[in-house]
Amino acid sequence: MKKTVDVSIPLGPVHPCWKEPVRIKCETAGERVLRTEVELGYMKKGIERIMRGRPWQEVMFLAERVCGICSVVHNMVFIEAMEEISAITVPPRAAYLRVIANELDRIASHLIANFSYCYTIEHETLAMYILNTRETVLDNLERLTGSRINTAYMIPGGVRFDLLPEDAAAMLADLAKVEEEMKRHVRIFETGPLIALRSRGIGVMSREEAIKAHTVGPTARASGVPDCDLRLRHPTYQALDFEQVTRTEGDNFARIMVRFQEVFQSIDLIRRCIETLPDGPIRGGGFCKAGETSYSGEAPRGELTYYVKTDEYGRVVDIAIRTPSIMNIEACAHSMIKDVTSIADVTSTFISSDPCIACNER
Amino acid sequence: MRSIIYYIREFLRPEWLKNFFFAKTAPLVTPPYFKDYPSLTGEECTGCFSCMMICPAPGAIEVLRRKDQWEPEVYPGHCIRCGLCVEACPEGVLASGRILDITRHDGTAFRSWYRLQVDDTLCMRCGNCCVSCPINKQEDPQLGATGTSSSDEVIMRIEGGRVRILHEEKCTGCKTCETHCPNRAIRVARMVEGVHEEVET
Amino acid sequence: MSILQGIKNAVRSRSIHVSYVDVGSCNGCDIEVLACLAPRYDIEQYGIYVHNNPREADVLLVIGSVTPQWVDKLRDIWEKIPEPKVAVAIGNCPISGCVYNRRGTLTDPPAEKYIPIAAQVPGCPPRPTEILNAILSVAPLVFKDYEEKLK
Repeated sequence: MKKTVDVSIPLGPVHPCWKEPVRIKCETAGERVLRTEVELGYMKKGIERIMRGRPWQEVMFLAERVCGICSVVHNMVFIEAMEEISAITVPPRAAYLRVIANELDRIASHLIANFSYCYTIEHETLAMYILNTRETVLDNLERLTGSRINTAYMIPGGVRFDLLPEDAAAMLADLAKVEEEMKRHVRIFETGPLIALRSRGIGVMSREEAIKAHTVGPTARASGVPDCDLRLRHPTYQALDFEQVTRTEGDNFARIMVRFQEVFQSIDLIRRCIETLPDGPIRGGGFCKAGETSYSGEAPRGELTYYVKTDEYGRVVDIAIRTPSIMNIEACAHSMIKDVTSIADVTSTFISSDPCIACNER
Repeated sequence: MRSIIYYIREFLRPEWLKNFFFAKTAPLVTPPYFKDYPSLTGEECTGCFSCMMICPAPGAIEVLRRKDQWEPEVYPGHCIRCGLCVEACPEGVLASGRILDITRHDGTAFRSWYRLQVDDTLCMRCGNCCVSCPINKQEDPQLGATGTSSSDEVIMRIEGGRVRILHEEKCTGCKTCETHCPNRAIRVARMVEGVHEEVET
Repeated sequence: MSILQGIKNAVRSRSIHVSYVDVGSCNGCDIEVLACLAPRYDIEQYGIYVHNNPREADVLLVIGSVTPQWVDKLRDIWEKIPEPKVAVAIGNCPISGCVYNRRGTLTDPPAEKYIPIAAQVPGCPPRPTEILNAILSVAPLVFKDYEEKLK
């Protein structure tokens, strides 16, 4: 009987295209790739097991270091889960400062995802331009919180440091510069013919497949899944008139363009926050009591859920984290990569769905 | 032909030539507001150990006694540069970036207290916790070798088959009892709360 | 010191191929190494070329605390690199395990148990300025008179 699968090529843990170790086995027939299988497990550190029995000031740092790219949102979702258990209210100034830090981190994360994609397509010029723009954004995060990555800015009841007026003015000037540079980069990306050859129509995922595979985040919004942005249900974002961004094509190009448009939306949100920043205290006090809850927030890659159970001394008894990349990677391996033309398309499609393997296996 | 003239005119612009020959990348300086490893300011350390109790990284900061004064020492390979010890110190002995100035300007602080919890089903009356507690030794110099004590000022003592806790408010949270218990029957909870006193503007 | 050794010293301190391997980190230090490649803290202007092929590397950057899957593979990657070679540990994780070195962990720090490490850059994560300062101060010393030290 004639074999349909020639050879299974492993794209190994150490690969120039991705920064984290993951193994993808592509089953090929000639030049075409029929199916892929994703093999994970190289980054399992057992973070949830370490967190058991520790007080919140140590679990907060462990939760941040689940993923270094989206570290601010892990901090925010964990602290908001603890606040929901003990019914602690946050003063309005602290809520707005939290939104500023969250959106700055979202811009940085989307820029890294797009840099990764442009680097995989071998368009190194645009990739380096995007990475340079990201440095300005991280400068502003440093002005607000004191460090670029793993900031530890939020605590139950508020935030740690306040925003000085001269820093706010510098931040607004920097954001105007970032917006101007991003417009130029988006124009290069949209009108480049070789980028279109490698992105349009590749890795298409229709809306029914996206809903069936439970994709979340920009990957789902690029396929037209409605109402999947959890920021629509957060009270501070509702007060700032937030609307989500969707596209309908569902290919690589749509996913990258959704992220670019979310960058512009985040810049707009930060500007509105700084201009309408209310006065008042930045910490409301309050201590964590016993209870359990399941709280979800919107990470740059999708929906992030923390299930936390505490005892009366404020220690975490049981915790389970569900990160968005778990669903996106499986959807990518099964729905997007079916019968593609070559292995180069496998890597570019995988990177366009923005996997964060460290989030995936904590 | 026209395109050649266009390109030559493009590349002979003064700002293009200046960027081509004299552009430099940014110098390797760290901005002053970056949270670096905590450094000593020169204030007098009282040996209260608040920085050690609030530190989330294992083995990052230790308060050592040098000649006749206390001095905190930070180990760079373990410290994660979070800045909690800078904020927690009541004297302001440690400084890092702008943290100390902003904390004083805002009026924010961390309040911490310690609670003890004993599991009766696991405690086997060995007395390790009472003997190793440094506050016990201070309060009662004649502490028994198995943890019994005749004084009522100690934090805990062995009485009637298990550990009995008398003065929980004197605990400093050092967790020596927890590390020396063979069963993990006694556990110390370090509770921290971030507060903000209203500053008159 | 012969002329040939002098030429080798000069060349080896100015053109270094760096390969990085991520043995289970949070990705923060990884992103800071990428930020070194960005046009602001340009690392390629010093002749240092960052990729991740161990076969053409001089310096191996170890990032992350060692997870159970990498315990046997880290030594294999080290053996693949041709002489002369050196390993540099970036971040707190390969030095001491950072916050993961607590009761109930699955990792096995430090990385010095598996491969010999010559230099360490502490920080969680270290700033790109600190990584660059460390690599630039280590670069002229690490391969100096390599053949004479072998004898």
